Amino acid sequence: MTQKTSRRDFLSAGLSAGLTLPVAGAGTKMGFFNPAGTAAPETAATPVKLDYKVLGRTGLKVTTVGMGCMITSDPSVVEQALDAGINYFDTARGYQHGNNERMVGAALGAKRKQIVLSTKTEAPDKAGMQRHLEESLRELNTDYIDIWYLHGKSSADEIHDDMIEMQQLARQQGKIRFAGVSTHSGQQQLLPWMAQKGAFDVVLCAYNFAMDPGMEQAIATAAKAGLGVVAMKVMAGGIRSVRPGDPMYPKLTQPGALLAALKWVVNKPNVATTVPSMTDRDQLEENLKAMGSPLAAHDEKLLAAHLEMIRPVYCRMCGACSGACRKGLPVADMLRCLTYADGYGQFALGRERFLELAAGRTGAGCANCTGCTVECPHGVHVAERLERAQELFG
Amino acid sequence: MRAAGLLLTMMLAAGTSGAQDYLNCHFAPGWEPSGTRRDYAANNLFEYKDGGAEGYLSFGFVRMQGITCASGADTLDIDVSEMADADSAYGIFAANVDSSLPIAKLGMGGQVERQSASFSKGKYYVELVEVAANPDKDDTPTMQAFAEKMLEHMEGRVTPPEALAWFLKQDLASVRLVPESVLGLRELRRGYVAKYKQGQAFLVQEDSPEAAAAVLKSLREKFEGAAPVNVGDEAIQATVRYLDGICIFRKGKFLGGYANMPGPRAAAEQAAELAARVP
Repeated sequence: MTQKTSRRDFLSAGLSAGLTLPVAGAGTKMGFFNPAGTAAPETAATPVKLDYKVLGRTGLKVTTVGMGCMITSDPSVVEQALDAGINYFDTARGYQHGNNERMVGAALGAKRKQIVLSTKTEAPDKAGMQRHLEESLRELNTDYIDIWYLHGKSSADEIHDDMIEMQQLARQQGKIRFAGVSTHSGQQQLLPWMAQKGAFDVVLCAYNFAMDPGMEQAIATAAKAGLGVVAMKVMAGGIRSVRPGDPMYPKLTQPGALLAALKWVVNKPNVATTVPSMTDRDQLEENLKAMGSPLAAHDEKLLAAHLEMIRPVYCRMCGACSGACRKGLPVADMLRCLTYADGYGQFALGRERFLELAAGRTGAGCANCTGCTVECPHGVHVAERLERAQELFG
Repeated sequence: MRAAGLLLTMMLAAGTSGAQDYLNCHFAPGWEPSGTRRDYAANNLFEYKDGGAEGYLSFGFVRMQGITCASGADTLDIDVSEMADADSAYGIFAANVDSSLPIAKLGMGGQVERQSASFSKGKYYVELVEVAANPDKDDTPTMQAFAEKMLEHMEGRVTPPEALAWFLKQDLASVRLVPESVLGLRELRRGYVAKYKQGQAFLVQEDSPEAAAAVLKSLREKFEGAAPVNVGDEAIQATVRYLDGICIFRKGKFLGGYANMPGPRAAAEQAAELAARVP
């Protein structure tokens, strides 16, 4: 027996059973919803056009903009998302050691059965998964999880048979409806494997405009096999880390820049929904605009400008430059030090790490070297960046 | 003279033994190092905390160092996260505590369970997670021993952030640092939120009284029907969707108030008590 907890008083009460989730046929459908409702709006809100897609073989009809709750701290943001019509909410057992699930469960309250709710387990074995599932059900105040993900898997090797068995068992017991895997790395190998394995219904993967084009093919393979594709990290993480004062800040925070990144993913035909993190209500209202809104020319310009900005400086640590410098510079390590300083504002850490690199290995002056032999496949201006690292830390 | 030399040698040894003396598998009997030391920064934390890294980054994560210890078939992961400052370290600790358990006096605060522990001291946030062959094993003494030894080797503040003491104690359920958008409002960038049996209180520190006044002004414009009320240096009260009865005051460079109260008057009454405690 699960307990219902309301946001305001967290009082326990019974929860009625029954599934009222919309199950769609094919295609995309749109509707309208006024997020402000009728009660005491603090500002006048524009009606939002809702846009739905079918989540692969689950048949669930989900709004193309969902809500990633990981860093949401106030339940009012979840409540407003619910009222706005968002119907996909994502959390995980491990987020804030379960406190996030508790907040989400309380905020959803009686509306839980009207939405698609996903959570994740990072337990390494069947017994641990079983414990996590019971804890998730309790904290989320629900009798079932719609999608239960194996959390953060980078390769097929990390997904053991007993994990799949546990997902199947939970499904037979009615505790979950669908099985999934979430992944942030190794995705281009993992997604085709999942497509072939046939044991999963949904994949939650990192996908954004800054990614390798090979990811689009991996997603297409997954979707073709019937997997519902949910995209996360849709804003390309770096945007969040840019703070006022950073030279990139004005451009990356100009009106529409974040929305353009979300629209890019929402408009991908093989992606059913997205889970951008939302911490406030302004962000929510902005994200809602991505639904039913095509990627316009000005959006593409914003994204192109962003890509252009990060390409020369953003090291993806792919290792392709390893051993390529004729003077033997540890290119990737030096670029990483620079990322600490330039990308994360951690100059001291960057310098400390730079100085930890073997003495004599970092000093070969790039300024005096003609014809750099290091070519980054992702377009990082390696020579310029190494020179900057030597100037900054040397 | 000889004693002074010995002392100097000891001091030098302590000084050169590295800042990571707190990472030691021998802090409890029967445990030995296993595997290599972990070291992650903000740009590669996801490799270790895959799926959870953003939660650390939102609290000003700088660096994580960790070790794995083994005792027979049991393993213990010890991870020390260096955060931007002590408030952030306490903040991530408070965000992750089990609210059904008491906060122990370990550094600024800690919790010890049968196979896990967490605490914060200075700018460090520490997590210990044991994976025991017997999942029901009570290894609380081991967790406690590691935590206490680590604290001895760790520098930094041992008192929780001062602002926490300003919240009213009656019916207080929990206090935590919200790293961005307090109450889900972008204008309230970062601050502490205290949950009560009824409603929630908050405190946000701005850079100056002028900056705080500008935030209050923007919220007054945002909240339709907001009215001034006599709390602190200046204040507003309103009924706001999702936040119910709310009162936000400014006192110097601090913004504070109550939300999710039955009405604006109740929020203002509570806010006045809170404002009186803010120096």
